[in-house]
Amino acid sequence: MADADSGSDKVWPTGLTEEQSEEIHRHLIQGTQIFGFIAALAHLFAYIYSPWLK
Amino acid sequence: MIYGKLWLVVRPTVGIPLFLGAVAVGSFSVHVALLTNTTWVKKFLNGAAPAATAAVEESTQKAAAAPPTLVVASAETVKR
Repeated sequence: MADADSGSDKVWPTGLTEEQSEEIHRHLIQGTQIFGFIAALAHLFAYIYSPWLK
Repeated sequence: MIYGKLWLVVRPTVGIPLFLGAVAVGSFSVHVALLTNTTWVKKFLNGAAPAATAAVEESTQKAAAAPPTLVVASAETVKR
């Protein structure tokens, strides 16, 4: 489904190239991993320092 | 990367806010549910003061409950 008119590798309906899509996804996954790590740390602290599950 | 081509069919301007919004709403609602359905979260967030106050009140009540017996005993002692 590459856009032949513009001579690029753009794919529709979004008009992004596969490389752009992969890049967005890479950043999103990385952000999710960082968020998850911080959240896991916060839950560990909550488990240690609060009455949670005690 | 698996699902890396997702953004060829989903506009990032739609998909990313949707994804982040779902994470935010999900995590917020879990914590609100914890706050409303348990007692310890509220107590914990209020800090040590209410617990100390409760302990003081409890000890005060015990102290208030205890003296009458002592008073009665001392009154009896006086009578004798």
